[in-house]
Amino acid sequence: MSLIEFRGIDHSFGARPVLQSIDIEVEESEFVCIVGPSGCGKTTLLRLLAGLLTPAGGEVTLGGKRVTEPPREVAFMFQDYSKALLPWRTASGNVSLALEASGYPRAQRPARIHELLEKVGLAGHAENYPAQLSGGMQQRLQIARCLAQEPEVLLMDEPFGALDAMTRQALQDEMLRLVESTRTTALFVTHDLEEAIYLGDRVVALYPNPGRVAQVFDVTLPRPRNQLTTRESPEFLRLRRAIFDFVREGET
Amino acid sequence: MTPLARSFWYAGSIAVTALVVVLWQAIADHGGIPPVFLPGPDRSWDALVAGLQGGDLARLTGATIERMVYGWILASLFGIALGALIGSSRLAREYIAPTLELVRPVPVSAFMPIVIAFIGLTGDMVLIVIAIGSIWPVLLATVHGVSAVEPRLVEVSRSLRLTRLATLWKIALPNAQPDILAGMRLGLTVSLILAVIGEMLTSEDGLGSYILLAGRTFHSADLFAGVILLGAIGLVSNLALQAIEHRMLRWTRR
Amino acid sequence: MSKLAKGILFPVLFLLAWEIVMRATRMQSDSLAPPSEIAAAFWRAALDGTLAQRTYETLRAALTGLAVGGGLAVVMSIALGLVPAFARLMRFSIEALRPVPSVALIPVAILVLGFGYAMEISLIAFSAFWPVLIYGHAAIVNIEPQLLEVSRVLRLGAFGRVTKIVLPAALPRYFVGFRLSAAVSLIIAVTVEIAANPMGVGHELMVASQSLHPDLMFAMVLWIGLVGWSLNAALLFAQRRLFGPAGAGVAAR
Repeated sequence: MSLIEFRGIDHSFGARPVLQSIDIEVEESEFVCIVGPSGCGKTTLLRLLAGLLTPAGGEVTLGGKRVTEPPREVAFMFQDYSKALLPWRTASGNVSLALEASGYPRAQRPARIHELLEKVGLAGHAENYPAQLSGGMQQRLQIARCLAQEPEVLLMDEPFGALDAMTRQALQDEMLRLVESTRTTALFVTHDLEEAIYLGDRVVALYPNPGRVAQVFDVTLPRPRNQLTTRESPEFLRLRRAIFDFVREGET
Repeated sequence: MTPLARSFWYAGSIAVTALVVVLWQAIADHGGIPPVFLPGPDRSWDALVAGLQGGDLARLTGATIERMVYGWILASLFGIALGALIGSSRLAREYIAPTLELVRPVPVSAFMPIVIAFIGLTGDMVLIVIAIGSIWPVLLATVHGVSAVEPRLVEVSRSLRLTRLATLWKIALPNAQPDILAGMRLGLTVSLILAVIGEMLTSEDGLGSYILLAGRTFHSADLFAGVILLGAIGLVSNLALQAIEHRMLRWTRR
Repeated sequence: MSKLAKGILFPVLFLLAWEIVMRATRMQSDSLAPPSEIAAAFWRAALDGTLAQRTYETLRAALTGLAVGGGLAVVMSIALGLVPAFARLMRFSIEALRPVPSVALIPVAILVLGFGYAMEISLIAFSAFWPVLIYGHAAIVNIEPQLLEVSRVLRLGAFGRVTKIVLPAALPRYFVGFRLSAAVSLIIAVTVEIAANPMGVGHELMVASQSLHPDLMFAMVLWIGLVGWSLNAALLFAQRRLFGPAGAGVAAR
């Protein structure tokens, strides 16, 4: 039994079918990327696992148990980070929210917040409000808050889509380091094929309208990944070609 | 514009006001209007100082301010609590909020005769009317602010598994802060008005009854002194709230 | 259940409960009356002409005051907006005068003008002045600078500039200010009548309260609310017709 299982998932928004017969399994500590064009339901898949939606058909299980409400072990990173942070709380305050929600002992919170902010490189901005932070910093703050939940599973919905290329690459590497050090299972949704291959152990490509699993690609590139060498390796280029062709076929 | 230039212009505007006061004095002295209708700034100032130092003005001002503040605090507490309840429940919003909209166009002063009919012309009456009247801006603002939470934040609270109460306290209410503070500022203006009218109607000790009596007995200098004090109360209270609002809403600015 | 039905349910149930409780307990009160009697009192006042008379008095004062105060505010706001130096010099005077609560001026008005229309109109004018001034000033200051350049290129001259460019561009915001001032005018009118002036619906309300006629008292309160609501609804309708739903560009509540 895998840690996460999507079994025969069907879902629609009103009359519009969004997902059809999705079967995916994710093992513990795996980094799985989900790619596909708009309309393939990749965000919906993530939200089903996060317990924010209930599937119309089929079931999602986590650790063998069906997901019916947001599971404690799952942390969700939203794409529009500025809207997912509390603007009236400082960076510390935002991280604290997760600790308050999980009932972390009050006396130990300041130390833990400092530790987490340091991990994402925001220790110097603890007293700043989100409005005073750049896009990249805000997203890192969201990462910190997710880590504060000490999740077994980290769900990320195109988290770096709205950032510039340099910030994106820096955050990609940071994300890999953090996930590896905590051995967290990660599901990463993106429409950037190269990002998916760079980050993942496996890449799930979906057809659109409605979303169906097209193919699952194994990424056997060595870890730790490197922005320069990994992206130039022949295996990387081969995968990129294969997935690109697949996705383009699906669009026709 | 440089800060220096800005200060110059501000000083200039104060000078303009001073000019108006001088004009006022000139008209009072030579304009042919009986002093009983238009006391000069000199007499008004004297009345103000005399009243504050030796007379009752200090005490009466305190009474009015006390009434205004107590009523406002009461109204704000109830308004926020009720507004949070109504705003956070979809059921309440659909069934109860429209009734609030129905009551809104009624002028707050119209509540006064009703409460007088119930309680009579006492000091308590004034406080209750102030509370009832000032609650509306705060209540409506809170309902609006609490119900208009960014949907993404609602999802955040769900994925963090916050309880309903925690969501209300940590997310909905802070989100409504700007609206609530604006509503409270409006509420304070209303409380001052209702305090004055209440004192006029009930003859309870306060600036309202003071100026009414001064007018009736043709003590126009005292009347003007009282009006100046009331204007000062309005100005200071508004500035104080604005300063507090400015500090509390730091997070809205870059 | 439709949205309208949902909204009406609560007040209707409330009125029903009020009626039933008072009738069932045969409550005699100097301060409460069952809704049926309130309706009857309203009907009586409507039929014997007092409602019409009082409403006329209040509305006449409110609208006259609105016209005077609003008119002065339009002129003043144009001056403030088009001559920045004037605005800077007047700032302190405006900041000092604005916080004075209009009710504080009631005794002054009584002293100088006695009771009646003049006193009420002057107080209303003072109150109605401010919203139009604030909104109007903001409207003029925020006029698209290019429009003003157009007026220079067309060599319109001061009067032409004001009438052909400035006023039309600022009109939607002025209207919002007028709507606010209209509401304020009605409120002040009723307030002054309750507090001191023996005329209009406010006075009628006060008399009903003091003569222990709760049915008439509540009827007057409801009527005042209805008049206020109708006035605002009518102005809102006019605003939408004249400027379109997005016309004002200012979210007005």
